[in-house]
Amino acid sequence: MGKYVAKRIGLALMTAYIILSLTFILVKLLPFDRPIGGDAQQIAYFDKQYSLGYVYRFDHEESQYGEYLYKSPAEHGRSNFYYQVPVMTQYVNWLKNIITKWDWGYSKTFQPNVSAAVIIGSRIGYSIRLNIFSVIFSVPLGILLGIWAALKKNSLTDHTISTLVMVFISIPSFVLISFILRIFAYDLGWLPSSWPTESASTAMKAQGYIIPVFCLSFGSVCGYCRFTRAELCEVLESDYLLLARTKGLTRRQAIIRHALKNAMVPIFPSILAEFIGILGGSMILEQLYGIPGIGKLFVLALNYKDYDILFVDMAIFTTLGLLAGILLDLSYGFIDPRIRMGAKK
Amino acid sequence: MNTDGQKERVFQEDDFVLIQTEKRVTDTKLETKPTTFIRDALRRFRKNKASVAGSYILGVLILLTILVPVLSKANITTVRSQEAFLAPKLFEAGTGFWDGTMSYEHVVYDTVNEVPALSEKYSIPAVKASIVDITIDPEPTLIDAANNYATGGYVMVATDAAVADRNTLLTSKATAMDANNNYWLDVTFGNEEIVGNSQQGEYAVYLLAGDEKLMLRDFSKDYSPLSVNISEVLANAGLTSTRAQVVFEVKSSTSALQFILIENAILRADESAANLEELEEISIQDATQFVLVSDTTSLSYWSCTGRKGIHSAEIYYCDYTLDTYFLVYGDADLVTYSASELNSWIEAGYCTYDAKVGPESFTVLSEDCPIDVVESQTVMGITKKLSSITARGWGYKKLGYDEMPKFLFGTDNSGFDLFKRAFTGLRTSLILGLLTAVFCFCFGLVWGSISGYFGGNVDLWMERFCEILGGVPWIVVMTICILHLGNNFFTFVLALCLTGWIGTAARTRTQFYRFKGREYVLASRTLGSSDTRLIFKHILPNSLGTIVTSSVLMIPSGIFSEATLAYLNLGLQGRQSFGVMMSNNQPYLGVYPYLVIFPAVVMALMMISFNLFGNGLRDAINPQLKGSD
Repeated sequence: MGKYVAKRIGLALMTAYIILSLTFILVKLLPFDRPIGGDAQQIAYFDKQYSLGYVYRFDHEESQYGEYLYKSPAEHGRSNFYYQVPVMTQYVNWLKNIITKWDWGYSKTFQPNVSAAVIIGSRIGYSIRLNIFSVIFSVPLGILLGIWAALKKNSLTDHTISTLVMVFISIPSFVLISFILRIFAYDLGWLPSSWPTESASTAMKAQGYIIPVFCLSFGSVCGYCRFTRAELCEVLESDYLLLARTKGLTRRQAIIRHALKNAMVPIFPSILAEFIGILGGSMILEQLYGIPGIGKLFVLALNYKDYDILFVDMAIFTTLGLLAGILLDLSYGFIDPRIRMGAKK
Repeated sequence: MNTDGQKERVFQEDDFVLIQTEKRVTDTKLETKPTTFIRDALRRFRKNKASVAGSYILGVLILLTILVPVLSKANITTVRSQEAFLAPKLFEAGTGFWDGTMSYEHVVYDTVNEVPALSEKYSIPAVKASIVDITIDPEPTLIDAANNYATGGYVMVATDAAVADRNTLLTSKATAMDANNNYWLDVTFGNEEIVGNSQQGEYAVYLLAGDEKLMLRDFSKDYSPLSVNISEVLANAGLTSTRAQVVFEVKSSTSALQFILIENAILRADESAANLEELEEISIQDATQFVLVSDTTSLSYWSCTGRKGIHSAEIYYCDYTLDTYFLVYGDADLVTYSASELNSWIEAGYCTYDAKVGPESFTVLSEDCPIDVVESQTVMGITKKLSSITARGWGYKKLGYDEMPKFLFGTDNSGFDLFKRAFTGLRTSLILGLLTAVFCFCFGLVWGSISGYFGGNVDLWMERFCEILGGVPWIVVMTICILHLGNNFFTFVLALCLTGWIGTAARTRTQFYRFKGREYVLASRTLGSSDTRLIFKHILPNSLGTIVTSSVLMIPSGIFSEATLAYLNLGLQGRQSFGVMMSNNQPYLGVYPYLVIFPAVVMALMMISFNLFGNGLRDAINPQLKGSD
């Protein structure tokens, strides 16, 4: 088991390293967007880039480095010329910066000269908080609906729940958000139609969570409901449950002591993965509801052509995805003794 | 057969007939036709009612995406702002549902023209004629702001700071006042202790004649009506003929902002006075109008050193339902046309007109004539040459339609037909999904087959590759592709294919692992079958069902991906795109909800029916279920 865990983590780290490196190089290969105006900030930005090793600085024009990226006035009436460092050299410097200084770069246009880590740090809280609420709301609801549907299999209740799950799992999230916004924010006016500002009252802020949490939860409620129903149905038809009934347990006792316990085994690991997984799913929601999270940051960075921030944001989504996968695999192995992963076939 | 019958019957040799005389014994041919794979699959598919319903809906939607862009003549390319935001219309106006009408609540009512205050884009007669239903609030609402449609109220003159010696003066324009005629000033005040954070304060009213200050009411808090004969005051002061100004002075206070409310301040004189008109202009009769005029134009008869505002003006609100089609395409609007336009219609044979006879002589000859009735004409010069006519005509003819248009889903902010736009966009999305699905199916199948069939080191390395590629979120792949290769259709196909095939490959691999160890494969291998035969004859047919289903479900996921990107401002450019349309309409969700709801319903229907169809398909072509049930 220990060997398996080590191998799995090692592999995930390797994957993350390769993906991040490729993404970094691809992003750095994008045509450089020349800054316009904003001199003091731009000078500071380019000096920073120079000290991090992403641009060259000369006090005269150097034809061998191509066109200069930026020209800033220096002392004695002269000018500093900044040139792009070859991408692979930038890559090496980037690795060096991360390993030695944990420096992920600086914003160029979105929030000039603020470090990427600070920007992400100020925004990730919103996304995480939203996710925690959403998981707290969706997991019990989904599992309960699933159990209900499984226990009443092939009845009207089961068919209604299954149909609704089918319908809601098919509807894209942005369509759902539009409908919910229309009904609860515009027509009924019960809830705010966009994320409350910082100055809003606490009650208003609390209300602001309702629509996003609801929208985020919809998909996972449906997912859990379907999953739980399938698992429980399988367990209910198993031999050991029949044995439990034969030895004299009532249906209720058999279900609570044997069926539910066993059905939950594959469900619990997925909760952990779900928690991390839906962080990425909230991008559209954050954009439509104006939530200042990391999903919205993606769109903002793209609009500002602030590729350093964009890269860090992408890196977070990638890492989270990998983390969710590895957690899912590992927790399966820990929780369910029947599953021996990595075992020889 | 009962036992009695057997006993009674005696069999003779003739009772027996030989079935066969040849030596070779063969089976008789089956009477019924053997069922084929497809027929069996179809039979099982039909059993699943939900899937059948789903595939019918899907069929209708796909048919629409093919037919609508070709057959519909509606405009989706040229921006026509006058046709923007027409409500969806299926039934005739007035039926109350899906009839091209829009209901508005709590809209300011224009009491002068007796219409709801609508944007200036539409003329008043057109709006009036388009109203299907209107309810005006019986009681006016009181507002504290100047509004074009409000009336009455008080002029609120207030100090602008809570300091001493900063009195606010409201001074009228100087006008001639002589002793021969009687001049009066009638002022009525409002009386309210506190408005907002200001207090009602002390004030004085006086006459300013040259340098002389003739007090009419000294500083006090007396808000009773004031009526003075100005001429007497002037005479008492020894002035016979002069130009004078009326001044209201509000005393400032350190405790709070001070104000007074003036309801009316009317200057009048005997009939014989020369400046009656000017007096009328200076008088404050309708506080709202007074504030509006002096705020919006340079024409100000009163100057104020402090703040001048309006308090408790009356405004009416109404709820109404408007036929948006009649508003734009109706015939209620009077339009002036030049004589040359009229002549061009006469030349084209649309109508006849005789300027000497006048409007009655107008006769319509052709359906194409943009006007129906001439209301009046203007002529110029001694020759009485016709210069223009004012006429009434159906708006749709002017805009080039043969009949009143009907937009099933309404029109968007550019005046584009949403129905055609939605299905043209959906066509692009479907083609995108289909291309992606076909490519991913082909590539994934080959990759998965190799990886699954050969196993071992080949499989290990191919798996690692997939794992790394699959670890990149699709949104990152799409973003980088679009940034590098530009935003066009083939970038989208490429970006979706780049990671899309991994799913198909993984599924194929699993299926190969499942079947390659089976006894029938082993048997075939023992008999000397080649790898090709094993793959194509034994393993692939068994695993195809699952793989095909997952590939079919890649089509809606392609549509979904495109729409998602549009919401992140990376939508497909250069083509009609469903996602771009939806995200463009999103800001109008509050005012024109149909712009979002109709495409959303189409999208949701598409997704649901695709899923239902896919589920049915998976069950139907699963070879293990063949012949079951």
